[in-house]
Amino acid sequence: MTSNVTQILSAIEAGDRQAANQLLPLVYDELRRLASQKMTQEKAGLTLQPTALVHEAFLRLVGEQDQRKWDGRGHFFAAAAEAMRRILIDSARRRNAEKRGGGMLRCELKDDDVALEAVDCETLLSLDEALTKLAQEDADLAKLVELRYFTGLTIEETAEILGVSSRTTKRNWAYARAWLKRAIDSRSDESEN
Amino acid sequence: MSQSAEKSIFLTALELEGVEAREHYLHSACGEDASLRDSVRALLLAHDQTLNPLDEPVVKEGAFKLESLDATSEASPAESADEIGDTIGSYRLMERIGEGGFGLVYAAFQEQPVRRKVALKVIKPGTGSAEVLARFAAERQAIAMMDHPNIAQVFDAGVTADARPYFVMELVRGVPITEFCQRSGLSLQQKLDLFADVCGAVHHAHQKGVIHRDLKPSNVLVTLHDTKPVAKVIDFGVAKAMGQNLTDQTVYTRLYSMIGTPLYMSPEQASMSGLDIDTRSDIYSLGVMLYELLTGTTPFDRKRLDTAGYDEMRRIIQEEDPPKPSVRLTTIDKRRMPTLGDHESKSHVVEAERASRRQHSIPSDLDWIVMKAMEKDRVRRYESAAGMAADLRRFMSQEPIEARPPSPTYRLAKFARRHRLVIATAVLMTLTLLIGSVASLYQASVAINERNKKEDALQDAIKSKNEATVARLEVEQFTGRLKDANALIGAARNDEEAERWGAAFDGYSQAVELVPNYYLVWVQRAKLMIDLKLWDDAASDYSNAIQLGAPLDGPQWQGIPALFAWTQRWDDLAAIRSTVLKPTLDDPDAITWSLIRSCVVTADEQIDFGRLANRAEALLIAPNVRGGRGPGGPSGPGGPSGPGDRLGPGDRLGPGGIYSQDAFDRAPPRPPRSEQPESIGPGLTDQGPKTERERSANAGLGIPGNELGRDGLGGRPESGGRFGRNDRGGFSTPGGRGPGGRGRPGSRGGLIGRGGPGERSGIEFLPMAIKRYVTGWAQLRAGNFERAIEHFQLAGQDRQWPDADLVHGLVAIAQHKLGHEELALESLGRADQAIDRAMSQLEPDPKSLRLWFDFVERLLVHREATQLITGSLPRVDARMIAVQQDSRALLEAAASPPF
Repeated sequence: MTSNVTQILSAIEAGDRQAANQLLPLVYDELRRLASQKMTQEKAGLTLQPTALVHEAFLRLVGEQDQRKWDGRGHFFAAAAEAMRRILIDSARRRNAEKRGGGMLRCELKDDDVALEAVDCETLLSLDEALTKLAQEDADLAKLVELRYFTGLTIEETAEILGVSSRTTKRNWAYARAWLKRAIDSRSDESEN
Repeated sequence: MSQSAEKSIFLTALELEGVEAREHYLHSACGEDASLRDSVRALLLAHDQTLNPLDEPVVKEGAFKLESLDATSEASPAESADEIGDTIGSYRLMERIGEGGFGLVYAAFQEQPVRRKVALKVIKPGTGSAEVLARFAAERQAIAMMDHPNIAQVFDAGVTADARPYFVMELVRGVPITEFCQRSGLSLQQKLDLFADVCGAVHHAHQKGVIHRDLKPSNVLVTLHDTKPVAKVIDFGVAKAMGQNLTDQTVYTRLYSMIGTPLYMSPEQASMSGLDIDTRSDIYSLGVMLYELLTGTTPFDRKRLDTAGYDEMRRIIQEEDPPKPSVRLTTIDKRRMPTLGDHESKSHVVEAERASRRQHSIPSDLDWIVMKAMEKDRVRRYESAAGMAADLRRFMSQEPIEARPPSPTYRLAKFARRHRLVIATAVLMTLTLLIGSVASLYQASVAINERNKKEDALQDAIKSKNEATVARLEVEQFTGRLKDANALIGAARNDEEAERWGAAFDGYSQAVELVPNYYLVWVQRAKLMIDLKLWDDAASDYSNAIQLGAPLDGPQWQGIPALFAWTQRWDDLAAIRSTVLKPTLDDPDAITWSLIRSCVVTADEQIDFGRLANRAEALLIAPNVRGGRGPGGPSGPGGPSGPGDRLGPGDRLGPGGIYSQDAFDRAPPRPPRSEQPESIGPGLTDQGPKTERERSANAGLGIPGNELGRDGLGGRPESGGRFGRNDRGGFSTPGGRGPGGRGRPGSRGGLIGRGGPGERSGIEFLPMAIKRYVTGWAQLRAGNFERAIEHFQLAGQDRQWPDADLVHGLVAIAQHKLGHEELALESLGRADQAIDRAMSQLEPDPKSLRLWFDFVERLLVHREATQLITGSLPRVDARMIAVQQDSRALLEAAASPPF
């Protein structure tokens, strides 16, 4: 597994566009597996945070030796952010479906489903929608948000991964943040009217 | 509209202060384009709004949790490679009947050589770390050793195509024993009969050297054979063969979460001294089960234990005395009522009511039997499960039981009850005044006794109830705060992991404020301070922890004495030294390497360093002598300083680049000498608790797990390494954190695969160089300067020891004491250089320091040497100050949010 991901990362570094597509499912599976495993092991009230999860996945997939010298971690985190987004959104969708279905149509919840509050679900789903829109406008901005929001990276870390200055990242973040809020609000205005 | 225009206008507007300035700018920048202006305006509005979901963490804390914690629940199982209908070996999976932390249990159908239904237990895909594999192997081995009608039989064992071990066992379709007894309305006699069978089964296993370690009702299933209920003990999932060192502290705590409910866990199991579990732990669990059979409820409240944090859970199990079963029965309704509402307790109440109707009271003998089995101190429990069964049978036949120290009246009372009719007849028949009056006097005394006893019990019950209410309130408050504190610590650890130092610091500090009386929170923050090289802050936190009664024998205290010495906290240093030395006053065997190292950090007239030095010399050559016993005192007549004791060339390390196992554990080959075994003898007599203590100490010394388990399954450790940064290794918390949390699972797995009892020895595994370094230090303090220098030179020559230059300062001190000023100055010069090297390698990165206590010891020794030889203190290194400033900046910077 380790070498596999390392190879893919090398391929991406070398400019292989296809390789990026292979990365996501691996990372996605690993995150799910980790989450599920953690939850089983740590039932005694330990909390699990996406950030920690992603970091652990990175260590597991890329491996100890490679991590320091590895500069392809940006691709990994990008994939992880997207994977995390999918996991959370899938969870939120299932939650919503379950809520709507009531007792009649019990939706299949997975072991590693995230125990999202109803509020969280709504927020997450509308954010996801807005984020998709943003990606059509400016894919880089959407990527930035994914990195920050779904893997909990700081401005500095995000900047490093995206290879831009932290000032630029800060500005982009401010714009994306306002943009998304505006998109979410205008959508809920529509649905209220 | 152009998005980039919108963006740049927005960003520029953002820099302007005040609504008017912004409006003004918008008008000039957007010109005629009203829609652009509106959209930027909306952006600015959105920017200023506080309720932006992006400012919240992606999911709230604790949002990830398992939907179905109950192993047997109906909830959909995790994705797995095993599907119903698949075959494993010659078994076709039919139905999943159970799921544990790492195992799946299926009902399966066997075709060959006989057709029958079996239970197949296979480990979950993806959880196959070496640790788990070893556990599984232990389980399989354990079960195969047993053959008893009340233990589920094992038929077969193997490994699946994807290298997951499984075994096949008798399929027991039964219900948990407690449930069975509730439902079937068995009489007390029948219940006890059934339970005595369970005791018999457990005893059988114990005789085969197998401890169950997870006895609980769901592992004791009852089926009806015709009309006779038969109990079967199943699932030796955590069994281990006695004498095998399956657990070390880290593994054990990691497994805690898998072991499941702590309700039936013995105090010693809960205490995390994982090495120390023996058959009496099972006796405790049997006691809890009997308690539950009698009262319909467990001694400790299920809900309370489940919600308590890990440490609180331990405290309850280790310290709280549950009420006797008879007392519990009388108070059960009131206690249960307020928690009505959740399904489980409701059923408990119903059962309890039924139980109390059925039996008005529990005979006090049964109280005694249960309480004896559940003694906190295992020495006072039944010695065997058979002993417990025998007492139950004695009770059933109204013979005096063993559980209570038999007083004459007690025996007589028993006798009278058993032979009530005979006595009465005799009294009637003899009709002697004397005997008649004796008998009636006796009866009267029995009656009075009983009445007094009941009154006392009533008074006690009222009193303890009041006390309990107060205590419970306090406990509840405390647990509440403790839970919050634990959550804070958990989050802070994550922060630390993600290198958000400020957030981590804040988290720990909040936890400290929340439960300032709890030493663990101080220790947590202290460790962070250590990472940040803020020595004074760390020492202050550790000092608080010690004053709060933190136990000092754990590996996490490695290096703390040196820290106290460096930060000149002499009182704390004295306290920690006298605490660790106290148990060694009459037990020299308890002196370990880490203890010696703790004591030698500074000179101290109170400490008998000669004794420590002798012990160190003995330990130094100990690995060659295993289990040797001699009648002599701690030090043989010749003492350890004879010429033959010189350090021969044999202990030099080979040319290999890596420390091989041999290089480490091989003590200098030396001819056997008559006094040698005598001087070592006592060192190895007591191998019990000490072994454990020493081993846990090892975890703190940078010794990777498979050091201890060279026959084990674990590969070479992938992190840490021999001298690696492993100072947290032994500090256990649930979900235990390996070396910096970076270790891959299984890298410590070697511990599990240790060989048989022969592998156990009371010897710490330390690199020889470090052993010499510590021994030399002890000799230095003892005044044997030449001997000390010999040790230091050998230690210092060890190329594989990256901190070998630690010895220069010590050599300088020793040379000075010998009056060799030139040599002393020369060594001091080397020590200066070493300090310079260490300082130049110092990085602000909190994770950069390999072994912090080596670093602190270096500072400490250098200070002592410089002061001694030059008469003045060394200057505080500017690089140190710079790094500490960086650390503080790191705390500040990260503490404030990016926006």
